[in-house]
Amino acid sequence: MPFGVDRSIAFGHDTKRMASASSRPTPIAWLLAPALLLFVLFFVLPFGVMAAMSFFSSNPVTNPNAFLTTRHYERFIFDSAGIFHDALWATLRMGLITTVVSLLIGYPLAHWMARMQSRLGHALVLMAVIAPMLTGIVVRTFAWMTILQDKGVINTLLIQWGVIEKPLPLMYNEFGTIVALVHIYVPFMVLTLTGVIGRIDERLEQAARSLGAGRLRAFVEVTLPLSLPGILAGSLLVFALSISAYVTPSLMGGTDVLTLPMLIAQQVGTSFNPNFAGALGVILLLVSLAIVIAYNRILTRLSGEQGMA
Amino acid sequence: MISRRKALRAGAGLAAVGALGAPAIAHAETATLKITTWGGKWGDIMKATVLPAFEKEFKCTVSADQAFPFMPKLQTSSKTDPLYDVFHTNSNEQWSALTEGLVMPKITAKEVPNVADVYPYAVSDKIVGVTIFTSAIGLGYRTDKGLTKPTSWKDLADPKLAGARGGYLIPVNSLGQAHLMMLGKIYGKGLTDLDAAYKALEQLKPIKLVDFTGQMEKMLLSGEVSEGVIHDSGVYRYDGQNQAVDFASPSEGVLSLEQVLNVTPGSKLRELAFGYIDYMLRPDVQKMLAEAVWYSPANKKVKLDAKYDAKLLTTEAKVATLIQPDWKWYNERKDDIDARVTKILKS
Amino acid sequence: MSALPNKQPFDAGRAAYLALNVALLFFLLAPIVIVLVFALNPTPYISFPPVGVSLRWFDKFFGSAEFMNALWLSLWVAGCVLVLSILIGGASALALARGNLPGRAFLTAFFMSPLMLPAILTGLALFQSYLLIGIGRPVWGLIMAHTLVAVPYVIRTTLAVLHNFDRRIEEAAAVLGASPVRVFFEVTLPLIRPGVFAGGVFAFIVSFDQFPVSLFLVVPKGETLPVVLFNYMKFDLDGAIAAASMVSILLALSVVLVLERLIGLKAYVKL
Repeated sequence: MPFGVDRSIAFGHDTKRMASASSRPTPIAWLLAPALLLFVLFFVLPFGVMAAMSFFSSNPVTNPNAFLTTRHYERFIFDSAGIFHDALWATLRMGLITTVVSLLIGYPLAHWMARMQSRLGHALVLMAVIAPMLTGIVVRTFAWMTILQDKGVINTLLIQWGVIEKPLPLMYNEFGTIVALVHIYVPFMVLTLTGVIGRIDERLEQAARSLGAGRLRAFVEVTLPLSLPGILAGSLLVFALSISAYVTPSLMGGTDVLTLPMLIAQQVGTSFNPNFAGALGVILLLVSLAIVIAYNRILTRLSGEQGMA
Repeated sequence: MISRRKALRAGAGLAAVGALGAPAIAHAETATLKITTWGGKWGDIMKATVLPAFEKEFKCTVSADQAFPFMPKLQTSSKTDPLYDVFHTNSNEQWSALTEGLVMPKITAKEVPNVADVYPYAVSDKIVGVTIFTSAIGLGYRTDKGLTKPTSWKDLADPKLAGARGGYLIPVNSLGQAHLMMLGKIYGKGLTDLDAAYKALEQLKPIKLVDFTGQMEKMLLSGEVSEGVIHDSGVYRYDGQNQAVDFASPSEGVLSLEQVLNVTPGSKLRELAFGYIDYMLRPDVQKMLAEAVWYSPANKKVKLDAKYDAKLLTTEAKVATLIQPDWKWYNERKDDIDARVTKILKS
Repeated sequence: MSALPNKQPFDAGRAAYLALNVALLFFLLAPIVIVLVFALNPTPYISFPPVGVSLRWFDKFFGSAEFMNALWLSLWVAGCVLVLSILIGGASALALARGNLPGRAFLTAFFMSPLMLPAILTGLALFQSYLLIGIGRPVWGLIMAHTLVAVPYVIRTTLAVLHNFDRRIEEAAAVLGASPVRVFFEVTLPLIRPGVFAGGVFAFIVSFDQFPVSLFLVVPKGETLPVVLFNYMKFDLDGAIAAASMVSILLALSVVLVLERLIGLKAYVKL
């Protein structure tokens, strides 16, 4: 792709500095300062406190008897209870499935929205896409209960129409959880994608069509590759969100689903062990960061552009 | 004639004196008692009636935290400056709080006079603090499914109920935890017989598990389950709404779900905190709250209206059917139990 | 294969495309329709099928001082978070895409971290820290906490748009004599609007609907709507929740519409 290569033409005297010292940060890099400040104060420091807590037996500030220990980490690593490793895999697996399904559902919607001509239609679809994000955690669960449970809308209709005899187990398991998670995260995928797809010049597709490509081929060979940054950004976003979700899986999954975030929430809210919860959080964060960085690196290599997604 | 400037200066002087004096007066009048409270109807009545009356009588303000969970917040605050003065929660959490030194082990009639009038269960050795209300955990069931009214906890294991019975996610719900202990009692040697309990739990599969009682209520109301573990308040609150649900107290006894108040040792308003607990034990306050949310009052002297009196635990005999689990024992093993039941109930 | 659009197959393909999208929309909207049904159903518990239409739950919602205060607080906090995160997030995206920073992949992943942590931990960690330094639980502390979890969205979406960016437009403007500052404000910013808009929408919604982070950082009488609703729900199961939900949806959608007019998702320059 020729875009963005010939920067030497513009920007006057700045360009010389850019062209010759391309490994040095440009003045624009200073724009990162506010975010860094925000993150250091409100994320790194508090999380540092929490990570420190994970090496203590209890809260050292309020309990003079607290001592340093690695037992929280040992508890996870050796997993004598047999549930922690499973929880980590379940978390990653569900995150992956949720991401893929959200992409499959989100892309057509994003494409439709981005290409829509009517301003009104666009606004309506936008509202329809955003509305799921706004329903609120518990109400949404009750809505799904009404739809998915044994006496819910789907099962009642299917039994009435004679399609099935016994109700399908659509809830209190991984299926129900994924349905609910996808429902929450598709809007994120759509909104991320639609901006990118909207920026793709439609005439590129038209050019391909006029050269003889069918609509599908024009899409696959022109639009799809150009929308890759959006796909990658959206996937990463949904993946990150779904591996940290705990309220929805708790309410939708019964015991069939036990993810690491659910465990963390249990440790904080009912076992009152914030130290172990902190250790689990550190582990989850490290695993996630590793995945995200690897993802970014692979993509950088694949796409040839720097800092992709 | 006093010049305007002089009058202004005098006025400013008076105002300054007033301003200096005011904080001292204000400080003496408006202590803020920090408590925790449930939401829903309980919260409504507290905020509308009970708390304003308390504030007026005791000349203070009450700051009521409704954002559950409370224990992690109390844990995080320092012991000398605790986040709450009065800590209202269920029995199991009071025990957890005690192990961390966050609440007082015992409250007697010396600190709270009305304690002299409560049933024995309210200040038994299974209680940390003072119980102000309790509910009975038993079996809720639908009356239109051709089921006979359950008479035993074992009825939940009836094969006909496969896929139509309800329970709780044990790690997060105390009714589920209490039920687990009950399984040990009816199928084994007692409330602490975990082996028997685990075996019995296995037999209850398939069972639909929920996080909190509100969900269980919904499952019963919509017919998603025909029978489930629930407390009486959760069923009786639909009284008069023509719902085909009812509550059964199994013959082996019902488990108690206590509402327990306690005071934090580091509280700077101990006298006021005790006064609050005393206030909550007054018969008129107890009656108001009990009838609003169908809780059984801990004060023996409370006279409820007939329809409440019939169903709630308001006599020595009825109260004797309450079984109080040993939460201290359970909390010590909670992590192991959580892991074990998670594995058992995964289908 | 031919360049002439053949009417028959054209419609079939397009029809399938539309049908698919309508079906997907249906999936997205079904639970909301259910919530609306709950909100209008007069029975004091959630049931299906509905027995009638009544506005009593909306009455209850609007008549409750607690709900109303929580609603205004949530809106106010979300508004602040929107502004803050657009500014901070937009700036960061520009810095990451164009600043030639070392360790860009790591930095981008770092800024995603708040999303990967269960929000309950973030809330607890912040609560602990606030208590440690003794500031208690001020509203600005809540706003900053929300901003922390909202900024990653803006960074994400703006970065995605920046990558498909045709820099020759900027270069053309510069060649025509515009200063870098002018190019930035009159060319670059308008062109990244869709990304900033999408991120802004997320930021507003994520804050408005935020539950776990708020859980530890709100004070009595200063609770946000999701916290109030969740605790109401644990003890009372009636249509007031659904009414609250519908009102939230309508309010938030209005904000999104206003944002769309102002910043615009479709407002991009066509050459």
